[in-house]
Amino acid sequence: MDFLEKYELSACLQCGKCTGGCPVALRAPLNIRSLMREVLLGGEPESVLEHPELWDCTTCATCTLRCPRGLNPSEFIVGLRAELIEGGRVPKTIIDALEGTYKHGNPWGRARQKRIEWKEGLEVKIIPDEGEAEWLYFIGCAPSYDPRLQGVPRTLCRMLDAAGVSFGILGTKESCCGNEIRRMGEEGLFEELMEENTSHFRSSGATNIVTTSPHCFNVFGNEYDLNGFQVYHYTQLLSGLIKEGKVDLPHTVQKKVVYHDPCFLGKQNGVFDPPREVLRAIPGIELIEFERSRERSLCCEGGGGRMWVEGTGEGERNSEIRVRDAHAMGADVIATACPFCLLTLEDGAKTTGLEEQVFIKDILELVAEAMGFDHE
Amino acid sequence: MDVIVCIKRVPEVAEVDLQVDPTGKGIKEGDLVFSLNDWDNYAVEEAVRIKEKHGGTVTAITVGPEESEDVLRRALALGADEAVRVTDQKMHGSDGYAIAKILAAVIKDMPYDVILTGVQADDDGYGQVGATLAELLGIPHATLVTAMEIGEKRAKVHRELEGGMEEALECALPALFTIQSGINEPRYVSIMGIRKVAKKEIKVLDLTTAGLSPEDVGTAGSMSLIERIFPPPVGEGAEMLTGSPDAVATTVTDIFVKGGVI
Amino acid sequence: MVLMEHRQGELREISLEMLAKGQELAEKQQAELTAVLLGTGVDSLAADIKRLCHRTLVLEDERLTHFNSEPYQDVLAALIEERKPSLVLIGHTAFGMDLAPALATAGGIPLATDCYEIEVKDDAIVPYRQMYGGKMCTEVHLREAPCTMITVRSGSFPAEGLREINGAIEAVPFAFEKDYSYKKFIQYLEAVVGEVDITQADIIVSVGRGIGGPEHLPVAEELADLLGGVVACSRPVADKQWLPKERQVGTSGKTVKPKFYVALGISGAFQHLAGMQNATTIIAINKDAKAPIFGVADYGIVDDLFKAVPAIVEKLRERKGT
Repeated sequence: MDFLEKYELSACLQCGKCTGGCPVALRAPLNIRSLMREVLLGGEPESVLEHPELWDCTTCATCTLRCPRGLNPSEFIVGLRAELIEGGRVPKTIIDALEGTYKHGNPWGRARQKRIEWKEGLEVKIIPDEGEAEWLYFIGCAPSYDPRLQGVPRTLCRMLDAAGVSFGILGTKESCCGNEIRRMGEEGLFEELMEENTSHFRSSGATNIVTTSPHCFNVFGNEYDLNGFQVYHYTQLLSGLIKEGKVDLPHTVQKKVVYHDPCFLGKQNGVFDPPREVLRAIPGIELIEFERSRERSLCCEGGGGRMWVEGTGEGERNSEIRVRDAHAMGADVIATACPFCLLTLEDGAKTTGLEEQVFIKDILELVAEAMGFDHE
Repeated sequence: MDVIVCIKRVPEVAEVDLQVDPTGKGIKEGDLVFSLNDWDNYAVEEAVRIKEKHGGTVTAITVGPEESEDVLRRALALGADEAVRVTDQKMHGSDGYAIAKILAAVIKDMPYDVILTGVQADDDGYGQVGATLAELLGIPHATLVTAMEIGEKRAKVHRELEGGMEEALECALPALFTIQSGINEPRYVSIMGIRKVAKKEIKVLDLTTAGLSPEDVGTAGSMSLIERIFPPPVGEGAEMLTGSPDAVATTVTDIFVKGGVI
Repeated sequence: MVLMEHRQGELREISLEMLAKGQELAEKQQAELTAVLLGTGVDSLAADIKRLCHRTLVLEDERLTHFNSEPYQDVLAALIEERKPSLVLIGHTAFGMDLAPALATAGGIPLATDCYEIEVKDDAIVPYRQMYGGKMCTEVHLREAPCTMITVRSGSFPAEGLREINGAIEAVPFAFEKDYSYKKFIQYLEAVVGEVDITQADIIVSVGRGIGGPEHLPVAEELADLLGGVVACSRPVADKQWLPKERQVGTSGKTVKPKFYVALGISGAFQHLAGMQNATTIIAINKDAKAPIFGVADYGIVDDLFKAVPAIVEKLRERKGT
């Protein structure tokens, strides 16, 4: 299919709602409206490939959600990236992430053997070795390898055990879900990851998949072909378990908490309430809201490959804006439910010098405190 | 401008815990991920750039079993035109010298202006094949090349020396250059790109078709062999240095002196 | 037989290191230690070298002024054939990597490269070298031959305890027959100042937020200068523009694999570790004993970097004699 046809560029009104809502356009020269027009006029994508800001896009999909004609500018950017990928013209750090994923199953290039080090000391069923389970918990690359995040799957496993849920993990057979890979334009690699993960899902005996990351949640639910599976983000499962009285939260967490909606959970998949329900169930938490919350949540700039590329923008990052806003509201904690949001917002706390005043925590870290778990 | 690039398939060991195998002369390869030797990646990219600038062909050659075709496909996807694999049971256990002999036997009857290899391999880090091959073919060579300008009959190259310094020299062609990492930024090779070259023919040569005899290759044809392999004596995790700043400073200085920095 | 390495009038440290080891091996094998010095205007070098070995062979010729593997190879091949050393040592340096394999091949001499240790077992020379980026060591078996060649890793053998042997200097004749214009030295190129490519540095001193501000960078710069390295940083430092982005190490910056990585006030956030965890030796200094950087570091110091680093700088200056 012709590039122009694929993205229906001739249907574009040039209204500018896409660029108007773009969280990156505040400080980078990324102008999707203008790029769509350039390609339409130029007749093919080649004309715009010399725009380094193409790698700034976080694939938050705000543009797609706002487009009055139902077009998909976010996918259009991914399509342009795919052209760059095929031509080999890709920033070095992205190459490293893609090659790391190809060789080791994760964009950090970490050894596959080490993918289960996070669970040291915990009894967790590894499905390929030990047999089937009803729930398949897909950890994700960042929570598997990053020491800052490893406590999150640890807490979730302990909590699921305590709630009597039958679950297992894929262990070292788990490979990157491919959400970011696809959005960086590497369609071929995404297909291979999808094939491999899907085959493991099918032999797991599970009917339900739960993920740590909204990114995995998004791609499994929307882009993998997983008929016969129900895909959940952990906040949905957790909120359900709390309602069923299966989760005990005896300890008080006396904190003023503002929840940051991750783009891949909130605006793209409509999961706004379960995270808030979990937070409200924790005794002691005073939950407040950002002005830009829910569908209007300000993208942290961690998605779409941005963990591996600097971005061309100058000036205050969105993560810094978020932290400053939280501080101005008197929040002690920004709670989130996405590993990339967490890492990116923590960077923002560091660079604004507010890391002793505003703490960034995953919802599960607060749950752990409420459950009296030593969140290590 | 015809360029030949000699490449090698090596294991990725960056974060892996290596274990000695039962023979005591090698490592357990079961769980390892293999890929194109890092230096060779730069060499192939450089070869393709030469072709893009001057025209001609790029031929990638490797010595190895069927799995080695992976790296040849990568070279093809990067832009090489032809791929050759030389293989034989008897070649197993070849050291750098034997490998160079095998390559020389195959290359001597091919047309070429420039031969490129990586400076060394990620696995043995010997750095021997390049210069040995040049000597066997009777052509000039330069190692640790960080920049290259190819002319009609001569090439101007920069070699990396110590301490950030470099030297510039000129070589008559045909010549062999061993390529240092960082000479260029290798382009990305996508999965689709590799799929596109999946059907391309790889020429396979064996002992006979390469014109070699069993004594030339394998352990019989090698001059150096691994007698025994063993892990270096290490401590667990970071060795924490304690004591007064002065005492710690002395220890740190010793570390630098031992490392050849001071 | 040990090949002396010198550049721009100065004897390189590796030469002394090889002489030290050479003395030890020569004694064990009850053999003579011969140094080979090629070049032009090398009289003063010869005078220093001759004290440390039994014989110093000197050949002066303008073809040898700057290192060039071709004439060096021809001269050495002739000397090896004539003098029949049982062992030839060459540095595993830019010099040695260009020369040794070709020289060894021409003479049918078994070669082991980049060796960090050489032992004598039952009268045979047994070299040791590393593989897999230093993760494994190997004992090498060289084919039995009248002469073997080893290139020596810098810093493996301390250039100390050298005995005064005071041998003779011998000027050796050599009739050059070839025209070496097919491999011609043009010039040296000094490192370009101002444009730093940290991915090419052997030694990196990297700063994190713990450095506190751009006004404190000189602390790191001083250390880097003494070590002959460059200054790099973690992301927060680049974000704050205390250092240019090109110095940033990490997943959205650069990946580096230096011989030494000194991390000052860097906590070791994962994205940073991914950019430097494969450095050969990592030394980390951080006030926080639980900083993740200590998980990947080889050596850790829990201290205020503003106390630890000046102390190190002082000791380094002492050792360097500056």
